[in-house]
Amino acid sequence: MEPEISNQSLLFLTVFVFIPLSLSYFYQLGLSRNILWSSIRGTLQLFAIGYLLTYLFDLQAGIGIPLMISIMIMVAAFHARLKGRELPNVFWYILAGLVVIEVSVLSMWLLFDMVEFTPSEVIPMSGMVIGNSMIAMGLALERMKNEFKENNGRLLAALSLGAKPNSASKLIVQKTLNAALIPNVDQLKTIGLVQLPGMMTGLILGGVEPVMAIKYQLVISLSIFSSVSLSAMFITLSMYRYFFNEQAQLLETEEEIRNQT
Amino acid sequence: MFRFEGVSYGPLKNLSFSINKKEKVMLFGPSGAGKSTLLFLFNRLHSPSEGQIYLEGQDVADYEVTALRKRVGLVLQEPNLFPGTVLDNIKYGPSIFGEWEDQDAKRLLQYVHLPSSYVNRDAEQLSGGEKQRVSLARTLANSPEILLLDEPTSALDYRTAEEIEDCLEILIEEHKLTMVMVTHNLNQARRLGDRGLFMVNGKIIEDGKISEMLTNPQTNELARFIEE
Repeated sequence: MEPEISNQSLLFLTVFVFIPLSLSYFYQLGLSRNILWSSIRGTLQLFAIGYLLTYLFDLQAGIGIPLMISIMIMVAAFHARLKGRELPNVFWYILAGLVVIEVSVLSMWLLFDMVEFTPSEVIPMSGMVIGNSMIAMGLALERMKNEFKENNGRLLAALSLGAKPNSASKLIVQKTLNAALIPNVDQLKTIGLVQLPGMMTGLILGGVEPVMAIKYQLVISLSIFSSVSLSAMFITLSMYRYFFNEQAQLLETEEEIRNQT
Repeated sequence: MFRFEGVSYGPLKNLSFSINKKEKVMLFGPSGAGKSTLLFLFNRLHSPSEGQIYLEGQDVADYEVTALRKRVGLVLQEPNLFPGTVLDNIKYGPSIFGEWEDQDAKRLLQYVHLPSSYVNRDAEQLSGGEKQRVSLARTLANSPEILLLDEPTSALDYRTAEEIEDCLEILIEEHKLTMVMVTHNLNQARRLGDRGLFMVNGKIIEDGKISEMLTNPQTNELARFIEE
């Protein structure tokens, strides 16, 4: 049976928007505009992507897949760069990281016959990998900046003892990676026990046997886990050195970091 | 030993002065005068935007930066200990240069009047005074020739500050170190220093023997600072 949600049923979803909207109004949270705008924007985006996917799924795989994946990577890189826009070349690092990760993951899927090279399989699964990698890179950048601020004294102490930037920042890198990876490790630990993952739920609702749905979910969960780890590691290890200049001096203001040569 | 020629950086304006070997120099003055900024120029944690700094006749910019920092040790206002044990902290510097030997730990802790049993203590669990002593031992572990101190006792109570001063007095004498220390405490300056540099708004406006400066100030600014 193919699940069908009527347009009237969809309209009832406004109730789910009305609840946080009333809470915001009642407690004067000042979020009403944001909630309304995000709900409308999200709905429009989803419908737009729905129509675009229908169009892409009809295209030849060799055209539709690279086209859509390129768009997804560009949008993800633009979005993630906002978390570290004062860091020189951050956009290019994110872009390169996402391309390498997506190509590696996709190659593994195809090489071991986990996924068929069709837009309807590759695009949604790649979207999950790229989206999660984007979030991991953004979180890692944000966390790293905070760690550099909070550990300013320790960094100065380490440098003054003769440490080079890479050893002085070891603690920062560790803390950043820890923070970026722990939610994923926790999620993987409780997968299926606390919540049924989205993809698996979707497949089961779509009539696929639970065991088959689990196999797909394992492919995507483990792919996401490794790409998130790689993304956080790649961006942290590539960007920490921009907090220092070539004389092993700590750059303490955004302006100094942005203007370094 | 150190020579500053027309050095400007941040709040510092066109500073020229020299520091001789084994001198004990006290940098003091009102907040925002640029004392800590000046201190960080000695070991190249900052570089001047104008002018030159020479160490034994050679521009500090020509020294390999890590080797320079090993020679010019710095103790900060806050201990900023690294996570781990006291030993992890003390051997941090020497390990970078492949010079650590385990028996050094006991000697270094003795220098700062801490029992050798502290070696395996968690650095986070120490008191403020103990942390600052470990920080001092950590800097001394690199066997520096010049010791820079940025208000190392300002966050400590009177008694603990005095104990750290005792340590410093003995250490500087025994190791024949050159010392440059930022302080707000004039008694401390009188006790530990033999020369004073009084700074206001990025400039050195008095330079002389500390005891004479404090008893017979030559500028209104210093006289006011002493009164306050």
